[in-house]
Amino acid sequence: MSNTPARPGSSSTPGAEAPILKVRDLRTYFHTLDGVVKAVDGVDFEIPRGGRLAIVGESGCGKSVTSLTIMRLLDVPPAEIASGEIIFDGRDILTLSREEMHKIRGGEIAMIFQEPMTSLNPVLTIGDQLTEAITLHREVTRKEATDLAVDALREVGISSPERRIKQYPHEFSGGMRQRVMIAMALACQPKLLIADEPTTALDVTIQRQILELIEEIQARTGTALLLITHDLGVVAETVEQVAVMYGGRIVESGTVEEVLLHPRHPYTRGLLHSIPSRGTKGQPLAVIKGVVPNPFRMPPGCKFQPRCPYAFERCGEEPDLIEIRGSRASRCWLEDPAYASRLAGYLTEPGAAGSMVSAAPSGASAPTPSAEATDPAASLVPTPPVHPQQELA
Amino acid sequence: MTVIDGSASPTPAPAPAAGEALLEIRNLKTYFPIRAGLLRRVIGHVKAVDDVSFEIRRGEIFGLVGESGCGKTTLGRTILRLEPPTAGSIVFEGQDVLAAKGRDLKRLRRRMQVIFQDPMSSLNPRMPVSDLIAEGLLAQADDENGWGKRAIRDERVGDSLEAVKLRRDYARRYPHEFSGGQRQRIGIARALALAPEFIFADEPVSALDVSIQSQVLNLLIELRDRFDLTYLFVAHNLSVVRYIGDRLGVMYLGKLAEIGDVDDVYDNPQHPYTVSLMSAVPDPDPTVRKRRIILTGDVPSPANPPSGCRFHTRCWLRERLDNPEECETEIPEFREIRPGHRVACHFSKEVTPDTIAAASRSGIAPV
Repeated sequence: MSNTPARPGSSSTPGAEAPILKVRDLRTYFHTLDGVVKAVDGVDFEIPRGGRLAIVGESGCGKSVTSLTIMRLLDVPPAEIASGEIIFDGRDILTLSREEMHKIRGGEIAMIFQEPMTSLNPVLTIGDQLTEAITLHREVTRKEATDLAVDALREVGISSPERRIKQYPHEFSGGMRQRVMIAMALACQPKLLIADEPTTALDVTIQRQILELIEEIQARTGTALLLITHDLGVVAETVEQVAVMYGGRIVESGTVEEVLLHPRHPYTRGLLHSIPSRGTKGQPLAVIKGVVPNPFRMPPGCKFQPRCPYAFERCGEEPDLIEIRGSRASRCWLEDPAYASRLAGYLTEPGAAGSMVSAAPSGASAPTPSAEATDPAASLVPTPPVHPQQELA
Repeated sequence: MTVIDGSASPTPAPAPAAGEALLEIRNLKTYFPIRAGLLRRVIGHVKAVDDVSFEIRRGEIFGLVGESGCGKTTLGRTILRLEPPTAGSIVFEGQDVLAAKGRDLKRLRRRMQVIFQDPMSSLNPRMPVSDLIAEGLLAQADDENGWGKRAIRDERVGDSLEAVKLRRDYARRYPHEFSGGQRQRIGIARALALAPEFIFADEPVSALDVSIQSQVLNLLIELRDRFDLTYLFVAHNLSVVRYIGDRLGVMYLGKLAEIGDVDDVYDNPQHPYTVSLMSAVPDPDPTVRKRRIILTGDVPSPANPPSGCRFHTRCWLRERLDNPEECETEIPEFREIRPGHRVACHFSKEVTPDTIAAASRSGIAPV
C-alpha cells in the first residue's frame, strides 16, 4: 500500500499499448456572479483501447462536466479549464485548434446523450442527420453516405431502414431515437464512445435493449466506452472499471467487482447500502445523512467528511486518491498507512463487504478470489456467505 | 403532533381491522378522446385505463408498476377524481366515490391526498412553505376543524413540517431555498396536513438521488405506521416497490397483468410480461448474472391496442407455444391462480423455469 496518487483505470501491466484516453489533473471551473464553482477539481483516469470505464455519482458530482470537457463542448468563459491534460490517442485535446477538434468530435470520439429527442433536429429527416455526420467525417459521395446511413440503422436493429431514413424524429419512439443516436455515433467508427446517461430516460425493457446493443456493438467494433451514469445496476452490467465521483473528485476506483462488492470509500459504501434492492423489508434503509455539499461552499478537507460516519480529526485535510492495489484506489485517510488499525476496524465492521453480502458469489463466478487473498487489507474482509448463483425464477 | 391525528374526524369509528378493503375499484375505465379535423370530432379513444378491478386494503402499501404510458398515473388520478372515468365504480370505505357531490366530495378529497413526482414543479415558487401547506387547510376549513383560524392553521403547518423532519421555522422560506429531497418532504407535509387516510404517491422518489431516495422511503414508511395511512405507490423502479410494497400490481397498456403479494409476484411471476420486466432490471451486484428475456419492439399505442391479450405482440411465451389463436382473439380473464395472486394470461401455466430458461439468454457465457 503506497501513498502515491493513483490513476483509476490504469492498466496493471505497464508497457502495454498506450491508452486511448488519459485524463490528468483535470480541473474545470465555472465563473458565476455568485463565485467560482469547481465542478471538476483534479480528476485523473484512463481508458485502455477497447476498454470500458464508468464514471458514477449523484447529481452535481461533476461526472457530466467531465465528459463535456473531454468533448470540448463547454463555453469558455464562463467555463475555465484551470489545469490538466486530456490525451486522446497521443494528442492533448485541450491544445487542439477548433478545426482539429471538429474532426475529432463526432469522428474519433462520439457521444450519446440522455435525452434523444433534444439531441435530434426535429425539422430534418433521420437520413439527413445521419448523412450529414457521415459526409463531415468521411470522404464519401452523397449516395455512398446514404447507403452507409441505411447500414448504420440496420446495425442498431431498426427494421426497414430504407423507409425509416425518410422519416422525422417525432415518428420514432424514445428507444428508437436512442438507437438512431447510437447509429449516428457509430457511423464514423469512433475510437471512443462517450455515453452520458444513455438509458436514464427510457423504460426498463427498452433500457435493456439499448444496453445489449451498446455491449454488442462495443464487442464487435472494439470501440472504447466511457459511460456516465448514476445507476449502479447499469454500471455492474456494462463496464469493467468504475470511478466513483463526489464533489468534483474521484473518491474511489477499481474494477466493478472490487468497488461494488468490497467498497472501500465510506461514500461508496453508503451509496450501495442505500439501494432499496439491498434493503431488508421491515427495516429502515441505510441512509447517507445530510445532502450533497453546496458547490459554492465546499467543505474544507475531505468533501465527504460532513456526511461521513467514519470521519476523524485528519479528515479536515484533503486526502489524495491513495492506491490500494493495481487500479484500486480510495480517496480516504483510512487508506493511509498511519491509520492501519483504524482501517482494519472499518473493514471488519458488519456489512463492510458492501451491501452485496446477501448475494455473494458461488465458487465458479467469484471475482478473482486469488487476487483478494494476496491483498493484505482484503484478508481482513469477512468472507461473504456462499450463495447459489442468482438466476431469474 | 396531536393536532394531526384525526382532528378532522372527532368521532372516529372503531378502527377497522387491517387487511379489509379501504378502496374497491371495479371495472374502471378511463378513456381520453382523440379529436381531429376542423370540427374537432372524436375519432377514437386512448384507453389509458381499460377495465381494471382491484382493491387496496387498509394500512397497506399497494405498489403499482409498469412502463410509461401503461396508465398507472391515470388510474391513480381517476381514483382521486382528478380525471373523470368513462365507466366503472370506486368505493372508498363503503362510499361511492364517483357519485359523490358537493360536501361529500369535498370531504372525500380531504381524506384522499396525493404526492407528486417532481417536487419542484408541484410547488409554486412564489409561495412560502406556510402558504403552500395551508392552501389545502383553507380549502377544507369548516367549523368543526377550525382550520379557518390562522393560529390553528399555523400550528398545523408546523406540526406537518415536524412530521416530515423539517424545522417548524422553514414555513417562512420559499421552495428554491430547499434541496430536492427537502422539497419532496414539503410535498409530503402538504398532503399530511389534511389528516388523510389514503395517499396516492405518484413516483415520489423517482427524481431523487439514491442517497436521498432512501431517506424519503424511510420517512414514507414511518408516516404510514404513525398515522395509519394507506398508500397507492406508483413507481417504475421495481426494486423500490419490492422494498416498500405489501402488494403489487403490474400494468400493461391500461390493464392489470398481474396482482399479488409483493414477494410472491417477484419470486414467482406468472405473467410473461412480469417475467420479462423483472429480468430487465439491472442488478448492482456484478456477480448476479440474470437470465434475460429481451422484449422485442416498443409498447404499442394505447389508442389502438392489440386485440385479445394486449401483450401478445411482444410475448415470448406465445412465440414458444407456436402462436396460439386465443392470444390474438380473446381477452384473457384475470384469474386467481393462488389465493390473492391473479394473472391475466391464457397460458400462465406454461410460465415455468423451463420455458423461461429456454426463452432467455444469459448475460455471459454459462459458468
